[in-house]
Formats: sequence, C-alpha cells, structure tokens
Amino acid sequence: MIIDFIQQIFNGLVVGSIYTLIALGLTTIFGILGIAHFAHGSVAMFGGYLAFFLISTLGIGLLPSFILAMACGALLGVVLERVAYYPVRNAPPINSFIIALGLTLIIEKTNLLAFGVDQVIIPTPFNRVFSVGGVTMPELRVYVLLTAAVLVVGMTLLIQRTWIGMAVRAVAQNRSTAALMGINVNSVSMFVFALSSALGVAAGVLIGALFAVAPGVSEGLVVKGFAVLILGGLGSIPGAIVGGMVLGVTEAFAAAFISSGYKDVISFLLMIAVLLVRPEGLMRGKTR
Amino acid sequence: MLEVSNLRIGYGLAEVVHGVSFDVQAGECVSLIGPNGAGKSTILKAICGLLPAMGGEIRFEGQSILGLPGHRVAHRGISMCPEGRQMFPEMTVLENLQLGAYSRRREAIKDDIDEMMTLFPRLRERSGQLAGTLSGGEQEMVAIARALMARPRLCIFDEPSLGIAPRVVDEIEQTLLAIKARGVTILLVEQSVSMALRVADRAYVLEAGLIVLEGPSADLASNEGVQNAYLGY
Repeated sequence: MIIDFIQQIFNGLVVGSIYTLIALGLTTIFGILGIAHFAHGSVAMFGGYLAFFLISTLGIGLLPSFILAMACGALLGVVLERVAYYPVRNAPPINSFIIALGLTLIIEKTNLLAFGVDQVIIPTPFNRVFSVGGVTMPELRVYVLLTAAVLVVGMTLLIQRTWIGMAVRAVAQNRSTAALMGINVNSVSMFVFALSSALGVAAGVLIGALFAVAPGVSEGLVVKGFAVLILGGLGSIPGAIVGGMVLGVTEAFAAAFISSGYKDVISFLLMIAVLLVRPEGLMRGKTR
Repeated sequence: MLEVSNLRIGYGLAEVVHGVSFDVQAGECVSLIGPNGAGKSTILKAICGLLPAMGGEIRFEGQSILGLPGHRVAHRGISMCPEGRQMFPEMTVLENLQLGAYSRRREAIKDDIDEMMTLFPRLRERSGQLAGTLSGGEQEMVAIARALMARPRLCIFDEPSLGIAPRVVDEIEQTLLAIKARGVTILLVEQSVSMALRVADRAYVLEAGLIVLEGPSADLASNEGVQNAYLGY
C-alpha cells in the first residue's frame, strides 16, 4: 500500500512538473500584462510538433532539437506579443481576451496544416525501467521530471536573483513606477513572452515524449494550466510550482485509487474547492 | 538645467495645463505650488514621460526630452519620487532601493545602498521587510532613497508629505533640506505651501493650469495674496 502511495506520488510529480512549466508561463504573462493567454497550450503543442519534425525529418539529435524548439518558441512568443497583444495594451481587457481566443484557433489550425492530423510521439532512446524499493521509475519519466525541475529552478533563479528578473517583478507590481526607475516596460513584456513561450514549448516536447502530441491536446493543457493558476494564486510563481505539483499528484491518486475516467473530475473538484475556501490561491499572502 | 516652455497637456480632449513656462537652474531647489487640480502633478508626469504633451517644449541640459518614454527620461538623469510613494509592495526595502539604481545596474551600488541606510537609519532595520508592510512615513523614506539611488542630476518630488503623519512631515522637510545641501537639483511639488517655501529657493504659483505668480520663496512667503490663499494668515 505504501509502495502504491509513493508510486502515485512519483507519477503525479512527473505530470505535475509539466503542468508547472505551462503554468509558470501563464502566470508570468498574467502578472505582467493581465492577459489570459489561452493560446499558450497551442504554442506548447507547436513546440512538440516542431521537435518531432526536427528529430524525425531533419535527423537532428534529441537535445539540440529540444533547445532549438525552445529558441523557436521564444521567437514565436516575441512575435505574438508584438503583433497580437502590444497594439491593444491600452485598450479594455476584453480586446486582449478576444485576441487570445483568436490566436488559439490560428495557432491550432496552423499546427494542423503544417504537421497534419496524426498524433506523433517524440522518439527517445530512454527505454530502461528503474526500480527503487519496489517503486517503478521508467527512465524517461525520471528524465522528464529532472528536465522540468532544472527549467523551473532556472526560471525561479532568473526571476528572483537577476536584474532582468527584478525588472519583471517591478513591472508586475507597479508598471508606471517601473518606467520611472528606467525599466523599459516594452522590452520586459517581450522578454516575458519569450521566456514563457520557451517554457511552454519545453512542456510540449516533454508531453510529446511522454504521451503524444495531437490535435486537441492543447485545450486540455491550457485548461489545466489555468487550474494550476487558480490553485496557486494568479501571478504567483511559487503558486504555479506548488499548484502544478498538487494538481499532478491529485490526478495520479484519483486515477489509481478511484478511476482514471474520473481523474479530471477530481482535479476540477479540487479547483472548485480552492475557489470556495481559499480564493486567493494556496500560496498567496505568504509569499512574494 | 530644466527648461519648460509653453507646455500644454490634457487628458483626452480636455486641456488642463495651458501653456506653462518655468525653469530650474543647476543646484537650485524650485517648487511648484497651487491648489489641488491646478495641474502640478500633471506637469511632473509629462516631464517624466508618463503623459504625452499637447504642445510646447521640455529641455533638459539643453536637449529636448519631450515625447521620450519614461525609461529614457530616467536614463537622462531625471529621477522621480512619485505621489503616493508607489512602492513595489511585494519586494523588500533593499530590492526597492536596488531598483532605484536600475539605470546604473552595471556599476557597483553597494556603497550607495549603505549611504542611503545611513541617511535613513530606519531603513537599515527594515531592509529585509516587504515594502508594502511599512508605514506611510517609512514608505516615503524608501521612495526618496530609491529616487536618490539613481544619482540623479535632477530629482523631482511629487507631494512627499501627502498622507503622512504630521510628526513625520517635519522629518521629511529635514530630509529634503539635507538632500538640497548635498547639491542635488530639486523640483518640488508640495501641498504644504509653508514647507515648500521653507525648502525651495524659488517658487511658481500655478492656478487652473496657468502660472500666476513667480519669484524667490522669501518674496512669495511675504506676498499678501499667497498668504491669504495658501498660508492661512
């Protein structure tokens, strides 16, 4: 029983780490621009398809493809910010809301046109299965968890310890005063979109390796991402990390001990419970 | 150092500042005084690049800064201590001060931080505390220190005593005099006219978007109109 327990925690953390990657981007963008960037899931799927294309069609190695896909994701993020969101930065919020919905459709359908309707699985050479004290740990899942952990820690250090990270937090907390400090608010917006989209693409590649990239996956992903935001607190980075893990582990437990058909129901019940009991999110008020 | 000529500013189509001209010489402390809604803060926002002007010219050290975005104005050497203190509430006092030196981020700023902590000993005690949890007076000190961290050539103060406990207002006046004594050029907007005239060398009286009176602070303080309208004699 205790082994089952630990097994499900491991499974949950693997999936939760991917949710965290998605949620980190959504929460940073929301914090700085107040935009609900629904197209984020489609950007992630674009990244997954792109990495598959680089590996299987162009024959580029796994790691270089991963890094190249993230770089393309960063570039795509900057383009989205400049072309779609920047022009409506002073308009009522409903404008960016509608633009976000439109972008979701555009990127989704572009993925279909460019990469086809078939689901693809990113091939990896990691087929070993480790067993630690009875807990089964497939090599691939361990690497997914480690990769996500490295990216999350890197992102957190960047935001907490560097000048550009401090600028990002300053713009999120007081936009016009940030400009008075000499911070170029537009550059910060572009930087945030680049960083968030690169992390989103990383999540897309990890999903492609672990499960599959397919049309329709992105919607589920972005809904989960926003669920994590609500769990952790809008705009909170620690909240996105804790929220992602909580959601992943809850789903794993629901799937293992209740029914895999109910795992989404359970995770959304959790979200509703948090909204009712602690609407500011699990991590709000205690953290900066 | 700063020359504002025939500056016109408005919100939407409504013009609120109707052609204002004034100047600040290097090393001087100049104050803009006048009733609420006269356009004082609006003028400061236009100088700092937070509001577009409808016409006129703003020159700093001989070069036009009209229409420059806020961060470029800051890089030119103009620092602003904004109305309402405008903390970065979820950052520590230390981080707020560091952000003040953002345009000098490639330089060493440790000594400057130390200098500010000496100027405001209370900030040293609170350096690890989140700025949003400080009292109004303490936040004002953070805002002043943050503005000085940029080592500005011109430092603008917008209503530093607004909403501050009376006992702390005296402290802020002493601080402004200390900053002035260090040779920092100051443009001060202040609702407490008596304090503004004690601190500033010269002042301009602004009413309904127009300058109606100007002169050395001592002259304005003894002017009957100013006394009746603002000093409550």
